[in-house]
Amino acid sequence: MARRNDQLKSEPKKEGLVDYADKEPSAFATMLGGLIEANVEGRIEKRKDFSTLVARVGIWVNDIDEGVTLDFKGRGGWLTVHNGLVPNRTLTIRTDAETVMSLSNLKIGPFGLPVYYDEVGRGVAAKLLNGKLKIDGLLANVMTLNAVTRIFSVQ
Amino acid sequence: MTVKAFSADWAAAFKDEVNKSTAYKAAGKGWKWTVGLVVEAEPDKHFAEARGIVMDLFDGEARDIKVGPASDAQKCDFVITAPYSRWKQVATKELDATKGMLQGKLKLKGDLPTIVRYTKASQEMTECTTRIAVEWPDETTS
Repeated sequence: MARRNDQLKSEPKKEGLVDYADKEPSAFATMLGGLIEANVEGRIEKRKDFSTLVARVGIWVNDIDEGVTLDFKGRGGWLTVHNGLVPNRTLTIRTDAETVMSLSNLKIGPFGLPVYYDEVGRGVAAKLLNGKLKIDGLLANVMTLNAVTRIFSVQ
Repeated sequence: MTVKAFSADWAAAFKDEVNKSTAYKAAGKGWKWTVGLVVEAEPDKHFAEARGIVMDLFDGEARDIKVGPASDAQKCDFVITAPYSRWKQVATKELDATKGMLQGKLKLKGDLPTIVRYTKASQEMTECTTRIAVEWPDETTS
């Protein structure tokens, strides 16, 4: 996972944790950006991941035919949200709207790992196995996915 | 019994459906905020004035659901706003509420992590609206 350890000590910016690359961010971009911002502002344990994560994560929602790219830039905590998928992504998640909601409802267990053995987790794991949830770049970036899940999770 | 869309009778039927739902009772456990639904006017669809549905939901129970002016609904902790025809699409299962929110067809105001945490409860509430027999003003022949 690409991280900037030298930024661990620096405080995240008080304002502008999230910005938008497009003049008119899509509703989906605004919602994900808003969700992450509220999560990070409200939960101190998410700050460390957010402050140090450097990754470009695409999320494509098949059943609304829309997507976003979350460009985590580290730098003490800064995310730029793009409408649609932009190149050079570390990970790309492709699934339906319901599963996006499930991903944000994954519980975080011991060692900061997402919990895949409760009802929500089993549902997500089943979708991964039956191909309804596809994650490009997963094998090489498991740690990044775990960090994104921790930031994204509302649980 | 068929009720007029977004009327006081509709609100009573909606409340009954919510309180009958064991799925909502479980999924709504811990919820303690008011929810306002703003139904924007669409005169060409014979829905002349905006209405607000104020839902007092607490811990898996609908304590009260009433219909009034849109301004009442706008004061709630969470506010979901859409034109009449969008709400009709939701209530007739033509539009999934989750997808509608992600697409901006239903506009949501309120703390996002909280509403996302209760996705299942909001899905079940939507299901409850689909169980009500509704007389839609744009389908009424007079």
